[in-house]
Amino acid sequence: MTSKYLSVFKISFQQEFAYRLNFVMWRVRNVMQFFLVFFLWDTVFSDPNRVVFGYDRNKILTYVFGILLLRALVLSARAVDVAGEISRGDLTNYLLKPINYFRYWFTRDVSSKALNLGFAIIEASVLFLLLRPPFFIQTNFPILFGFLLSVILAILLFFSILFLVNMIAFWAPSMGWSAQFLVIVIVVEFLSGAIFPIDILPNAIQGILSYLPFPYLLYFPLQIYLGKLTGAAIVKSILIAGAWSAVLLFSVNSVWKAGLKHYAAEGR
Amino acid sequence: MSNFKLEKIPKTFNRYLTIWWFMSKNSFLSYIMHRAGLLGLFAGKILRFAFFFAFIFFLLGGTDTLAGYTFNQTIFFFLTFNLVDTISQFLYREVYRFRPLIVTGNFDLVLVKPVNALFRSLMGGADVIDLITIPPLIAAIVYVGVALDPTVIQTTLFILLVINGLIIATAFHIAVISLGIITLEIDHTIMIYRDLVNMGRLPVDIYRQPLQGALTYLIPVGIMITLPAKALMGLVSPVGVISGIALSGIAFFASLKFWNLALRRYTSASS
Repeated sequence: MTSKYLSVFKISFQQEFAYRLNFVMWRVRNVMQFFLVFFLWDTVFSDPNRVVFGYDRNKILTYVFGILLLRALVLSARAVDVAGEISRGDLTNYLLKPINYFRYWFTRDVSSKALNLGFAIIEASVLFLLLRPPFFIQTNFPILFGFLLSVILAILLFFSILFLVNMIAFWAPSMGWSAQFLVIVIVVEFLSGAIFPIDILPNAIQGILSYLPFPYLLYFPLQIYLGKLTGAAIVKSILIAGAWSAVLLFSVNSVWKAGLKHYAAEGR
Repeated sequence: MSNFKLEKIPKTFNRYLTIWWFMSKNSFLSYIMHRAGLLGLFAGKILRFAFFFAFIFFLLGGTDTLAGYTFNQTIFFFLTFNLVDTISQFLYREVYRFRPLIVTGNFDLVLVKPVNALFRSLMGGADVIDLITIPPLIAAIVYVGVALDPTVIQTTLFILLVINGLIIATAFHIAVISLGIITLEIDHTIMIYRDLVNMGRLPVDIYRQPLQGALTYLIPVGIMITLPAKALMGLVSPVGVISGIALSGIAFFASLKFWNLALRRYTSASS
């Protein structure tokens, strides 16, 4: 069984290299998006002694570089194609095969994450040498362990959010792209902390957002890494992320079952 | 060229306006076939605007200024970016649908019609979502712009330079479809163009050299977006305005040359 998904991993990895230009251009886009965020914060913190929103220059630029790497690990996914497969009726091919659809896409996501993370590390190293920003290195082992745990939960969270959004195609086949644009491109992008750290927002809004799953994708893992959360706050954030992961994974399973009852393999 | 007659220009303009109207109407009808999807995209665009606006609001609440610009000025840069970006997306949405024409060879059907192929490829279907967002955007620009207390000359320069920015955007779109004919790659190229333009959401002054220079002269995002906004604030010199206009002329001319070169390379493969 393991070898089956290992083969999926290898094939998916090779597929990314089949469309090399697409992949390179995708990474170029990531770097350009990085520039906007990096130089914005670089300007705000041009005075090295300035402290705004609880960040100094070291921590905010570490946050920006952290986002570049964490995006590759958490937000890289191939499961964006699920809505298309459902609406074209291609899902039938998988239903007939001795393969678990979720495991199949999770494996493909892991392969995409491995490749994107590899490139993101190279890009971050080059950008680091070019821009020479100050960088905060976390050395506290329990905090690093909390960070690792929060990243694993973030990967599970994003997988379930992405799958739930894609499954809208069971009921509204033409809405796959617009639902992804609304939830993944806009809501996740802004509320996960990919553009700005959530703690620049007023406390009331931060309070509301802390009960939603989105900040647990990027913002909270990086807060843990930067040491801005300690002890009970780390445990609380991991518990909330864990609870959301459980709820969303359960929802994915329930929506999947309901969707299959509705699925009529149109387009085949 | 010998058949060129000046009196024919209004007639030709009217004919193309009619064609554009019909193509836009068809595009609108195909949009309303997918009302729910349309609503999702519309909500996404509004949310993106609102989130970024809120970000600037709270950021400048903590820092007071950004690269020396006040809150109103920073918002004005952001609104000018949205205006240029939205109008160009409204007019040139067809560029996003150009690749299938080339890959399938159906571009032949565009070439044989008695309509300019570049016009058809660029403006073959206006985007109704962007049309809805343009009037409130203009209202916001007027509201924030008036608060900056510009003179008549500054306001005139702003309008002139926004049009200049749209000419640069046109040149970019022509270059993208020309490159598409030669390489068959459009989807990522147009998104890279969008990412580059997105760097103009905030004044290009925030970027360090040599990136700032590149964004001003090499990839003239600064001239497209930052320059018009600065003109309204009275922060540009006559040399800056003339250079900006000259650069857009060069970019437009070069893009037309590139289009002609690309047409000669079109092989009609798969048709």
